[in-house]
Amino acid sequence: MALSESEVRHVALLARLALSDDEVATLAGELNSILGHIDAIQRLDLDDVEPTAHAVPVVNEVREDVVRAGLPRELALLNAPEAQDGAFVIPQIVGPGGEGS
Amino acid sequence: MSALDLSALTAGDIRDAIAAGDLTAREAAEAAFARIDALDGDVHAFNQVTRDLAFRAAERVDATVSSGSGEKLPPLAGVPVAFKDNMNLVGTRTTCSSRMLESYESVYDCTAVARTIAAGAIPVGKLNMDEFAFGSSTENSAFGPTRNPWDLDRVPGGSSGGSAAAVSAGMAAITLGSDTGGSIRQPGALCGVVALKPTYGRVSRYGCVAFASSLDQIGPFGKSVGDCALALSVICGKDSMDATSVERPFEEFSASLDGGVEGLRVGIVSDMLAMDGVAAEVRSATLEAADVLAGLGAEVGDVRLPSAEHGLSAYYIIGPAEASSNLARFDGIRYGHRAADATDVLDLYMRSRAEGFGPESIRRIMLGTYALSAGYYDAYYGQAQKARTVISADFERAFLEFDVLLTPTSPTTAFRIGEKSADPLAMYLSDIFTIPVNLAGNCAVSVPAGLGRDTGLPVGMQFIGTHFAEALVLRAAAAFEKAVSFDTTPPSVRALS
Amino acid sequence: MSTDRLLQVLERWEPVIGLEIHTELTSANTKMFCGCPVAFGGEANTRVCPVCLGLPGALPVPNGRAIELTVLAGLATCCEIARRSQFHRKQYFYPDMPKDYQISQYDLPFCERGSLAVEIAGDGVRQRFDRTGVRTEAGETSYATTIGITRIHLEEDTGKMVHVGGSEGRLSGATKSLVDFNRAGTPLIELVSEPDIRTPAEARAFAQKLRLIWLTLGISDCNMEEGSMRVDANVSVRRRGDAELGVKAEIKNMNSFKALHDGVAHEIVRQVELLESGGRVMQETRHWDAGAKRTSALRSKEEAHDYRYFPEPDMVPFVFDDALIERIRAELPELPDAKKARFVEAWGLPAYDASVLTGDIELAEFFEAAVTIAGQERAKAVSNVMLNDLSAHLNANAIAVTESRIVPAMIAELVSLVEEGTISSKQAKDVFAEMAESGDAPGAIVELRGLRQVSDSSQIETVVASVLDANTDKVAAYRAGKTGLMGFFVGQVMREMQGQANPQVVNEVLERRLAQ
Ligand SMILES: [Mg+2]
Ligand SMILES: [Zn+2]
Repeated sequence: MALSESEVRHVALLARLALSDDEVATLAGELNSILGHIDAIQRLDLDDVEPTAHAVPVVNEVREDVVRAGLPRELALLNAPEAQDGAFVIPQIVGPGGEGS
Repeated sequence: MSALDLSALTAGDIRDAIAAGDLTAREAAEAAFARIDALDGDVHAFNQVTRDLAFRAAERVDATVSSGSGEKLPPLAGVPVAFKDNMNLVGTRTTCSSRMLESYESVYDCTAVARTIAAGAIPVGKLNMDEFAFGSSTENSAFGPTRNPWDLDRVPGGSSGGSAAAVSAGMAAITLGSDTGGSIRQPGALCGVVALKPTYGRVSRYGCVAFASSLDQIGPFGKSVGDCALALSVICGKDSMDATSVERPFEEFSASLDGGVEGLRVGIVSDMLAMDGVAAEVRSATLEAADVLAGLGAEVGDVRLPSAEHGLSAYYIIGPAEASSNLARFDGIRYGHRAADATDVLDLYMRSRAEGFGPESIRRIMLGTYALSAGYYDAYYGQAQKARTVISADFERAFLEFDVLLTPTSPTTAFRIGEKSADPLAMYLSDIFTIPVNLAGNCAVSVPAGLGRDTGLPVGMQFIGTHFAEALVLRAAAAFEKAVSFDTTPPSVRALS
Repeated sequence: MSTDRLLQVLERWEPVIGLEIHTELTSANTKMFCGCPVAFGGEANTRVCPVCLGLPGALPVPNGRAIELTVLAGLATCCEIARRSQFHRKQYFYPDMPKDYQISQYDLPFCERGSLAVEIAGDGVRQRFDRTGVRTEAGETSYATTIGITRIHLEEDTGKMVHVGGSEGRLSGATKSLVDFNRAGTPLIELVSEPDIRTPAEARAFAQKLRLIWLTLGISDCNMEEGSMRVDANVSVRRRGDAELGVKAEIKNMNSFKALHDGVAHEIVRQVELLESGGRVMQETRHWDAGAKRTSALRSKEEAHDYRYFPEPDMVPFVFDDALIERIRAELPELPDAKKARFVEAWGLPAYDASVLTGDIELAEFFEAAVTIAGQERAKAVSNVMLNDLSAHLNANAIAVTESRIVPAMIAELVSLVEEGTISSKQAKDVFAEMAESGDAPGAIVELRGLRQVSDSSQIETVVASVLDANTDKVAAYRAGKTGLMGFFVGQVMREMQGQANPQVVNEVLERRLAQ
């Protein structure tokens, strides 16, 4: 499967990466050469093989519903690029939105 | 007095010397910093040196000793250690060698790091790596490459290059790295030190910045198999903060190292050894290693892992796919690089991420996003997870016949800085021997086998065990280590004394 | 828009409505994947940790209790509980979502294929038409229907944003936003209904019934104003008799049951008017503005999402066996429908009384407590007092039964006083009014006011005698046949006794004496 430059732009939007035209062109080349190698996997006949998500099979790992200490607000905001009134500040929201949008 | 040569001492030696009062933890810390001052300008293994943390930890150890309370010293008391810069430690920056996190201050501790320090270790710093662990040479660090102490023009391997170089150069007795497709074992091999990738789930991943959640595992580097065994006993075990960490009975791994390999069934993975791209000196070193083990009484035979050749494809789908998701959180909102004067949130995301991530990170995020995008999931991620199943089955079959599998750790010895950075695919091939182990979740240790007959650089052997067979693998590695008695001290370090 | 307009439209057009209902599991102590407490409000970013802030290196560990509560919700809505399930990552960038993916469920949710029986009563019945546009159930006061439930899955809630610079915290016009992650990671169940709903009234009834069940299970406070229960509706319309579905719009921001009913009703009329004027319905998300009584497009769906779901690699799968499911089933309390049936069958309540009483958890609990004291044979009498005097009192003061001074024992006592003839039902009204006012026990009030009615015939005999002696002429007239004077004599006796005489006894005595 070869990636066109417009597909590269679409993927870059999904990944939220601003790319210049040069970067798009370079990436298209690199990704296609990598995919050229990876696509060998398509030739494997794995129709009746179960997928493996974790090599070490474990199930039902859960936590007790018990409160544990969190972070004091100063630490929560320690690395914030911009904060105000104990909250993280972001610029206006326009364009593609959140869930269900 | 001339700085004490840590590289001549194992972690165990240092702890015993401190317990005996022949050495103080402070002296051990000073020795490490002296070595860092002398060599790290050239090697650049460290992103950050943590003198304050180190001396505070040293004081605690020395106080315990001088109190003479006879209270038993913890297993790593006074041992200088350092951590790959993707592991959180309060009081340090955790940068992942990325502009994105250049000034990111840790607000909590990585479990494996906390357990190491709780065991009395002296944290001397944070170690350079390929950005977000994407790479096999540490050239992808935003802060400049780490150089191989055996030859400063060559790479130390990666992504945990700083962790390997620091131990090799005696800047720390034990370091921790993370291994997703070979990032502990391959630099261990290229720097001539011992490097252990534990079974998936053996060590908590909590606090280690995730690359590929289903493959990542933290492990130790040391000058000896014994040091890695010592460190593993300290960092292993179930952690309530990591749902994928596994409950196991405690094992004192350093206790069972002297059992030898008499009667141990060792399988040489012949079909992988025959793959092209494997250097002749590496192939011959592997066959010599097989002879050494046979000489020690091991039953050596050939074994095949036919699906392993698809490991690279599966890995370069699963790894980037999970990474593209794990790295989404670096969006310039709660922490990390934020682009200036963003007009709106979308613009903030797009530019902060494009500016903060280096080229290899962007390549992997793009590759993984594409592999998961509408219409491609089954062909890529789904297919790769199935390939994972057949690769695991190959290993299970092999482990019915053999106790331990043997491969080279890396197809070549350390390559020149810049030699492969132009061609991502060529770089990816340096992990062909290590990747299948991560896909199957097995444990493996890389042990120095000597110097390559052509390059004169360290060659590492990879001993692979099935799930949770660390004790067995370490025992075989220890016997091999004893037999080859490789001097882990690189020339640049010998020149110092 | 008038109800008539809706009814006109419904004659020709059939709405197809499906609901997506998000409910926070506010009864959990901690968030879905970390140990931070679940609570509402508070100072921004004071209930956060590395996990729910999505800090580098932090890992989620699922809250086992939240998973049990989800299974409980599934069992209460006749769902099949998945034997094998797992979490997936739903990936999209949004500032209220710390990791820029939501841990949710995809093809393996905990609960699937359930159903909910709802009853539509009152005005809502008129919204029901058959496929040919004939109003069905004409004259009926209520009808029942069953709505399919596609799935219930468990996920994590997002943080909250306050938009600054725009009008009262709204997105439009805002120049920047403040993000608070206190809510981020709160356990959230998402129920998706089948598109079986045909009227705004059915949509409202479904949501109300579901809320009643969630409250009965105690899994959430279901506070729609605070957003712990959020109902979104997918609405499309097609001409009556048409087979294929119209284009649907998703309606959000309906923060009350009334808003749900009105939002859906307005959307139905909007779509019909659009189609009848030759327009096309866009697949989009629309925002209900209760003030302006209209929906408006939120964002167009052109830049459609690609959520890139994949199995959450930081967690392992879940495998449920019968033992585990049965252990959770054992936690099920009596559900509203069962309770209603019991009130009707065991306690002989009329279906209407039973529906009203079980339609409100506090009312039902109050009723059961009162009947336990008064005795089952008095259940109907207790119900009467509650549905008449008590309801009137609560409505008049706009309070919940739990806020009133009246406790079940008072109603039980009041009913007993009437049943035992101590006071007349007319007196009971006054006693109720006073006890609602003072909070005093009915017995005490009866004593205090001396309201106890006199049934002692000897006392009545004396009064009757004196009345008859004082009116010998009328007595004669009565005996001569003017029996209409009986009322006069009764009135006289009652006045003499300040209305406290038992009317039956007074009648008996008078009839006997006058017959002589
Ligand atoms: Mg949802
Ligand atoms: Zn939290």
